[in-house]
Amino acid sequence: MARHAPARNGWVVWLTFAIGLLLSVSPLPQFMEIFRPLWLALLLAFWALALPHKIGMVTAWMLGLAEDVLYGTLLGQNALILTLITFLVLSLQQRLRMFPMWQQCLVILVIFGLAQLVQLWLSALTGNRQPTLALVLPALVSALLWPWVSYGLRGLRLRLKVN
Amino acid sequence: MVVDARFTLLKPVRSQMSLVLMQSYWIADLPERLYQGVASQFGSRTELAADNEKLKTENLLLQGRLQKLAALTEQNVRLRELLNSSALVNEKVEVAELIGMDPNPFTHRIIINKGERDGVVLGQPVLDARGLMGQVVELMPYTSRVLLLTDATHSIPVQVNRNGLRAIASGTGNPERLELRHVADTADIKEGDLLVSSGLGQRFPAGYPVATVKEVIHDSGQPFAIVRAVPTAALNRSRYLLLVFSDGRSPEERAADAAQQQESLDRQAADPSAVPSATVPGATPAATPNKPVVPATVPKPAATGHSTSSAPAAAPVATPAAMPAKPAASKPAAKPQARPAATKPATPAAAPAAPRAREE
Repeated sequence: MARHAPARNGWVVWLTFAIGLLLSVSPLPQFMEIFRPLWLALLLAFWALALPHKIGMVTAWMLGLAEDVLYGTLLGQNALILTLITFLVLSLQQRLRMFPMWQQCLVILVIFGLAQLVQLWLSALTGNRQPTLALVLPALVSALLWPWVSYGLRGLRLRLKVN
Repeated sequence: MVVDARFTLLKPVRSQMSLVLMQSYWIADLPERLYQGVASQFGSRTELAADNEKLKTENLLLQGRLQKLAALTEQNVRLRELLNSSALVNEKVEVAELIGMDPNPFTHRIIINKGERDGVVLGQPVLDARGLMGQVVELMPYTSRVLLLTDATHSIPVQVNRNGLRAIASGTGNPERLELRHVADTADIKEGDLLVSSGLGQRFPAGYPVATVKEVIHDSGQPFAIVRAVPTAALNRSRYLLLVFSDGRSPEERAADAAQQQESLDRQAADPSAVPSATVPGATPAATPNKPVVPATVPKPAATGHSTSSAPAAAPVATPAAMPAKPAASKPAAKPQARPAATKPATPAAAPAAPRAREE
């Protein structure tokens, strides 16, 4: 991390984001819809932790806009939320990297929960109020998925020396 | 966000972005389509034979019903002529395919593979084989988003098919349930009633089945009866949908067009030999297959020229050519139209406008 190697294999990051976009619209059975993890937020959190010099709030904003178009929400709603998540992760970055996995999970749960509450607030402002407690479920599922996403992507990153 | 909510400034940006991004719905749908393709390749022969048999009987039944329908349509046309009101006989329909569901579980929206470039317009009604499904709420170049009837923000004006009682059916967020709001406790509505769209609110065409009443609860503690209904359309199962292109013209324009059409027909019939028989109103339903694009409208009795002063819009078109048409047109329909009944056509248009129902 100390020396500045030239950027390598940046496409891997974008590939994971593309897959994340696909996963966030992939059809699921009806009962599982409310458990759909926040794929983009998970990926963003990981890459913001791993490559803070590369993946920042601008990336988050762009991805959020893409998600807005896909979901048909107001342009900027998901963008704002993803930016918020990235901001929180970046500001906790130094500590988060030191934490053991279970503690990371907890922090991720809190961050995503906050983001979902903002989401609830925004969608209530725009006129479609959603049931409150069910909105926290995706945050919970995402937090439970965090170790797998994190270890998997870390393996990928070390293998391909993404920088 | 405010800009997007209040102005149309960002619409082009969004539609350009969707051009690329909407492919992801298509890609996400690939496995499903692949599976279906494989399944249809390996469908067994007996299965196909059984399917074929079933479809044949169904076709027979439908054909039988269709025969009756032709007679009924014609009768309807005649009766409407007696009443001097015009009505749409049929609308143009186009098939669309579902390509994605909205990932948000709290809204009921689907994405279809027809968009602005295919002529889809905002607010266009969407059907499936069994009934109304919803309306188009967002247009993208090659896809569009459809809000289903059962979304919690959607309401549709309906009437009970049995007795014409009007009500508003609101979505509940449950894909198997609609609720009729503000139905009086004494209203004549009961389990099993078919609810059809009433056409008030001018968004949905009238007469399509919407739901069947499942239960009516009279609770003395409540000011209104609680009426729950089940949508007739398979909202979460249909893969092929029908987009209805209804007529955008106002009743007056429609009447004028119909008058013109009738005149040309009359002239054609009058010219070759003076046989004033064939082109009277009975011919109109038969004329529909020729030009399916312009929804065939029932010609308002062609010779509105009788009462020029009272027909505001139809008059200028109808008068000049009405004289040659008279011998042909005034055959069977002459008696009712001779009365200055042309003042009436305004009423069917005015009535729906008044109780403009909450509908979005």
